[in-house]
Amino acid sequence: MALSVEVIKAGLETSVQDFPGRYGFWEQGFPPSGPFDMWSFRLANVLVGNGPEAAGLECQFMGPTLRFSEDCVVAFTGAEMNPTLDGEAFPMWESVAVTAGQVLACGFARVGARAYLAISGGIDVPTVLGARATFHMAGVGGMEGHALKDGQSLNVGAGAGAGAGVPGRRVKQDCRPAISDNKEWQIEVVQGPNDDWIADDGIERFLTSEWKLQARSNRTGYRLEGPDWIFADKASAKGPEHGEHPSNILDHGYPVGSINLCGQTPIILVNDAPSAGGFINPFTVPSAAFWKLAQSKPNDIYRFRRVSVDEAQELRRSIDRLCAVESIA
Amino acid sequence: MIYDEPKFLPGGDRFIEMELGNELNFDLNFLVHSLSAKIREAEITGLIELLPNMASIVISYDPDLISFSDLKREVLGHYHNMGSLEGMELLSPIYYIPVLYCDPVTRGCWEDYCAKIGEKEYDCDVLVRLNNLDGYEQLARIHSGTEYWVAALGFYPGLASLIALDPRCRLTAPKYNPPRTWTAKGTIGYGGSVTCVYPANTPGGYQMIGHTPVPVCDMDQRLPAFSQDLALLRPGDRVRFFPIGQEEYDYVERRVTAGDYVHNVAHYAKFSIRAYHEWLETLDMKERF
Repeated sequence: MALSVEVIKAGLETSVQDFPGRYGFWEQGFPPSGPFDMWSFRLANVLVGNGPEAAGLECQFMGPTLRFSEDCVVAFTGAEMNPTLDGEAFPMWESVAVTAGQVLACGFARVGARAYLAISGGIDVPTVLGARATFHMAGVGGMEGHALKDGQSLNVGAGAGAGAGVPGRRVKQDCRPAISDNKEWQIEVVQGPNDDWIADDGIERFLTSEWKLQARSNRTGYRLEGPDWIFADKASAKGPEHGEHPSNILDHGYPVGSINLCGQTPIILVNDAPSAGGFINPFTVPSAAFWKLAQSKPNDIYRFRRVSVDEAQELRRSIDRLCAVESIA
Repeated sequence: MIYDEPKFLPGGDRFIEMELGNELNFDLNFLVHSLSAKIREAEITGLIELLPNMASIVISYDPDLISFSDLKREVLGHYHNMGSLEGMELLSPIYYIPVLYCDPVTRGCWEDYCAKIGEKEYDCDVLVRLNNLDGYEQLARIHSGTEYWVAALGFYPGLASLIALDPRCRLTAPKYNPPRTWTAKGTIGYGGSVTCVYPANTPGGYQMIGHTPVPVCDMDQRLPAFSQDLALLRPGDRVRFFPIGQEEYDYVERRVTAGDYVHNVAHYAKFSIRAYHEWLETLDMKERF
């Protein structure tokens, strides 16, 4: 009997994701999707002995309740959602043996916002455009294109690598992202690509102000509330094809992580964001800071710290190094 | 203008926005897509994806495999080796899309908007009035009387911005204000000087002038055209609309429903910018179809 996972309660918006997501179709408007906090996701796969490409679950704000049909090894990482296994506390950041028929239940995210569940073998949904990641806005990938629904059954693959199914492995404390219930975050940003549309005092204001994460934020974009922007002369002295508002520019592509300025509202474009549009992107959040976005909640406060392209790439490497078996005790 | 030297603007740790110019200009957009084709051919190690748009290309890369400055140097090398714009040719397949103009589906969508959001002149009447046309027949004749250039895709997966290559067929249209809450999949839209085919049921703001039963996006990959892709078009392709009547529309719709509709596409078609420019010179702009 093949292992399957029954979705008793789907949670708020639990989706199948894989690392690094969907590539090669961006120019047709398909974003990468994939796990928002890739650091936590990748470590969950390492814990259960999966290869990095194995699909798992991203649980947002309120996790699912699942029943396992066969014995298996699972790991939970990321946000603390008070998971229980048949009513007993289920340890986070650790590979755990689950026996057939046991029920894993989650509650609301107490610390952080997104938790990741890996199962040895990986979740087996069809690949769409080369990936299992869910892009639910267009109904692509994952479980029938969308978030999990109550009563569905997830198949689990047999593709586990070395060390598969070993319970009791733990991620060392200093190798995990520092997810806390502190409501203030320092987020790295790289200046550009369209920073020359903002006046010098506008750049200064962005970097020294507090920005509040609005409730209308999701895997498409993170809306921020803060002071008004100050535009450079260039933003007004431009051809009519750029649009009327100072934040308008001739349609162009949007880097993932770019801070897209719509009028006066900055929106950080994340994993499921539109690929193009007609607004400027004065700053970009580098990939190494995405886990912080993924683990923050509405009304949290962001302060941005400017880093160079080189520093952003070095930060990325330091996280990559931690997403490996060396981080397991 | 087209810049003498393109700008390479950083987008975080893994993107570069390469800006080749700053205006809406067919030659510039052609340059963008020609360069994109060259960069793809070169298979630069560490380059992941290209996102070409009106006047720029966003390049994604793996910084562990190539640095910002090396990638910039390689791309710039290809840019400088492209030769003159006039000498450029691009393989540009032409997709044929059947359209029932002034059709019942989009008329129903407009009526729904009038009932629920507010009174508004019928979309085809807006196009006829603002472009001094003599009626719906001429609207269909002009809209279907040119090839369209896929300048970019974006906003929504599979949604292409199409620009008329024959300047005598360029129409203008205002956008819905406020926008519609829904638009039927397959609607032919017109906004500003851009036309489009709605890839899915989505909100929208373009005037609706017709409807095609042929999908340009298929998340279930049922039709043969979608065996490798979910979306039909890529930047630098061309589209040709052709008018059909209700009976042919119904026939095509049945074939699409049955899952055996075959898209018409001329994969051999090349686009030469020199031949295009020479043809433009010969046009009498006062002629009307």
